[in-house]
This record gives sequence, structure tokens and C-alpha cells, in this order.
Amino acid sequence: MTDTSEHTGKRPADTRNTGPGRLLIAVYAIFAISATARAGYQILTKFSEAPLAYLLSAFAAVVYVVATVSLAKAGRTWFKVSLVAVLVELVGVIIVGALSLFDSVQFPHETVWSAFGRGYAFVPLILPILGLIWLYRRRPAAPAA
Amino acid sequence: MDAYFYIILAVGLLSTLVCVAAGIMKKAPNDITILSVAAVELALLVYLVGSIVRVIAGEQIAGEAWEFWGYLATALLLPVAAVYWSILERTRWSNFVLAAVGVTALVMAARMNQIWY
Repeated sequence: MTDTSEHTGKRPADTRNTGPGRLLIAVYAIFAISATARAGYQILTKFSEAPLAYLLSAFAAVVYVVATVSLAKAGRTWFKVSLVAVLVELVGVIIVGALSLFDSVQFPHETVWSAFGRGYAFVPLILPILGLIWLYRRRPAAPAA
Repeated sequence: MDAYFYIILAVGLLSTLVCVAAGIMKKAPNDITILSVAAVELALLVYLVGSIVRVIAGEQIAGEAWEFWGYLATALLLPVAAVYWSILERTRWSNFVLAAVGVTALVMAARMNQIWY
């Protein structure tokens, strides 16, 4: 491993797991673990109280796991997987965030994305935006003509 | 909140500040930042030993016991994983990865305190 943090030179490989990407992956990993643990706990102990909210928790957990793994992997396919995961995350946090504010009957129970991720210091809202910026900056080069 | 939480709060915040500062100064992870994360691990180990002693002494955990131990076990793995992840690529960004350990540990310690009492 070299000691440089410059990414301005030639890109030897189609990767997103260096430099700022490492921090992004670390934060995604923390959310993947906590969302998985939380959803697992909710579904195992009190699923019948709010099935929709807890299924959403589980879905969010899957999205975070997919995002974490795909960001760490190299190559064009994993880039696309990352892009889809991060976009789903962004749409999810906005829709669930809005629904949890307007329809507190269907969403009375906390999920990672409730109230735009307020319970997690709004990191769930900021994370996909930073993810999209990072993916854009590290997008695979257009195929040679 | 008990003394264990405040120890982790102090050590965690200090570690995060040290690591963020090192990251801003464009330093790669060094002895200081890695030792600060090791201090977080030590504080968590103190919490672990203290909790085992309290349970043996007959104290009851108010919340779900397995949830408490799950949090503690996960928190104990975090510093190790972060140090491993950061020394694989020694750039300034790895110090921000290390910085995430302190805040995460103190949030988890707060949750552990809620479960215990």
C-alpha cells in the first residue's frame, strides 16, 4: 500500500474502496450491523406490533449490507449494484421519512429511516448523498470506442 | 448513566477528536491515533469485566440481558475491525475511520446503560 491519498492520477482499477471511500464503507458497515441487529430484534420479539415498520427495518438492513459490500468491491458491475443500493436508500429515507411524519398510524414504530433518520443524527439522510457524490467521482470510465 | 458510560464517553470523545485532528492534518494512522482507539477498547473491556462481576454479584439487568451482551460484544469488535481496516490503507482517511469508533462506542454505551437500568 502506498502512502498517498491522491486520486488525480491514472486509475489502475475500477475501485471505490480507497481514500474517502474507506470512511464511507466503514460508516455503511456500522449501519449495516446496527440495522440488521435492530431489525432482527424487532422481528424476533415484537413483529406483530407493527409488521410494516419492522419489515421496512429489515429491508433497510438489507440495503445497507448490499451497499457496504458493493462499495468495497471493484469493477463495473459492483459500481452498478452500489448505485442502485444508494439510490434505493435515498428514496427509502425520503419516502419513509415523509410517511412517518404524515402517517404516524401506519408508522408508529421507529425504523432507521423514520423522521429522515432523526434517531441516528440524520446520518441515514446524509449518507446516500455522500455515497452518490463518491460514486459519481469514482464512476467507471466510458468504454473505449 | 453510570461511571462505565462516563468513562467511555470521555475516552471515546477524546479518541474521536484526536483521530479527526490527525485526519485534518493529513496524517496517516500513527501510534497516537491507534493507541487512542485501543484506549476505547480498554474502556469497553473494563465495562465488560465490571458487568460480569455485577451479574455474578447478583445484580439484575432491567432490560433484555442478551440485548445488552449483544451490544457489548459488537462494541468490543468495532475498535479491532476499525484498526484492521485502517492499517490496510494508511491514508488520512483511515484516521476518520478510526474517529468513527469513539462516537459509535459512546452511543452504544448509552444504549447499554438504558438496557441495564
